[in-house]
Order: sequence, then C-alpha cells, then structure tokens
Amino acid sequence: MGPPDVPTVVGLASIGLAAGFLAGLLGVGGGVVLVPGMVLLLGFDQHVAQGTSLLVVIPAALSGSWSHRRSGRLVLRDAFLLAVGGIAGAVGGSLFALSLDDGLLRRLFGLFLLAIALRILVAKGARRGPGTPQPGPSG
Amino acid sequence: MLDGAAVNRTTLILVAIGVAAGILSGLFGVGGGILMVPAMVLLAGFAQQRAQATSLAAIVPIAAVGALIFGRADNVDLLAAAILVAGSLLGVQAGAWLMHRTSDERLSTIFGIFLAAVAVTLLLP
Repeated sequence: MGPPDVPTVVGLASIGLAAGFLAGLLGVGGGVVLVPGMVLLLGFDQHVAQGTSLLVVIPAALSGSWSHRRSGRLVLRDAFLLAVGGIAGAVGGSLFALSLDDGLLRRLFGLFLLAIALRILVAKGARRGPGTPQPGPSG
Repeated sequence: MLDGAAVNRTTLILVAIGVAAGILSGLFGVGGGILMVPAMVLLAGFAQQRAQATSLAAIVPIAAVGALIFGRADNVDLLAAAILVAGSLLGVQAGAWLMHRTSDERLSTIFGIFLAAVAVTLLLP
C-alpha cells in the first residue's frame, strides 16, 4: 500500500473495529472478518489480505494471553504443545496457500467461511437443550 | 500423580490439534482458534475457558510463522496492518464490555447468517 487515501484508512479502521468488536463479543471474528473485509470492501488481493490478517491477530492474541496468564487460566505447557504442532502446520499451510492462484484461494476461503457460518448456526441450536439454564427475570 | 499414559495421550492430541490449526491458519490467514477451542474441549476434555486461554497463546507463534512466510513473499501490507490493529484494539474493548450486558444468542445467529452471505459473495465468480 502506498500513501493510503482517506477512504482506505477509514475502511481499514472500520474493518479492524468490527473484527475486534465481534472477537470481544462472540470470541470469533478475527481473521474471518478481516480477510473478507479487505478483499470485498477494499479490493485487496486474497494473498495480501490473508498475510496482513495473520499479522493483525497477533497483538490481540498476545494481550488476551497475557491477561489469562495473570489470572492463572493459562498452562504454558499446553500452549507450547499446540504451538509445536501449529508451527509445523503453519509452514505447510502458508507455503501451500502461496502456491495457489489468487482466485482459487479466494474461493477456498469462501468454502471455509461457509463451514464456519454453518458451525456457528448449528452450535447455537445445540446449546438450546432442555438443561440450558434460562436467565431469570432478575438476571 | 497423573497417569502417564493419559498425559502422553493428551500431549499427542494437543500436538495433533496444533498441526491441524496451523495448516488452517497458514492456508486461510486466520488464527486457528475456531478449530483449536472446540477440538480441545471435545478431544482433550478441556473446560471452555482453559481451551480459550490456551488457544490464544498458541495463536501468537502460529500466526507469526504464517505472517513471516507471507511477508517474505511480499504478501503483508504493514501500513494496513497498523490501521487494522488500532481499530481492532478499540473494537475488542467495546465488544468485551457489551458481552457482559447482552445475550449472544441472537447475535450469533445474525453473525452466522452474515458470514454465510459473505462466503457466497466470495464464491461467486
């Protein structure tokens, strides 16, 4: 990106705001909002949107883990084990993504997003089981 | 004392979940929490909060590796990233604040439908 024009800056700030808002509210919404936001609203290449999204999710994840660590909910050994596998997987996944044509990657991402959408809708239905506590009138 | 076999099994499960989440993260530019959190709850028996905390910490190195590889191929826009980070740090505070005051049932539905619509848009030629 060269010197960005005002609409691009406003667009990026809004996409970041929406992604952060949904992540804070629902626990989902980092990359799945950032990537399509950049591609569909600002015309970014799929590859650039994905690479940029990877960088953007790091500060939020760092600050979240920091507060979990302070409150004792984070066992570093567990995270280390995930990271050992995760780094290997990320190398493979990234190199594979870079080998794909931009339009093909965009469609694959669309399928991935569709799967997530269905998962969110189905999980919501499953939560409404008979044992689900309902908020009382005083709550 | 913990049962050694059970510990080894959890170790293997966590590494395997990491591999799958890493592939997803590198391939689609996401953190991978969307896979790691439910997988830890279902396969490793973690409580939801523990799974979320562990997932967040693992996202840091996983996303960093992906960002490095994409960056080397000139596929990271640093200025755009800085603006997005600024926006998201504000948004995450607002979202967390609102989470304590609202039920997320309806919002989850709206978000799911919204994502499905976005997905279809991306799939169109």
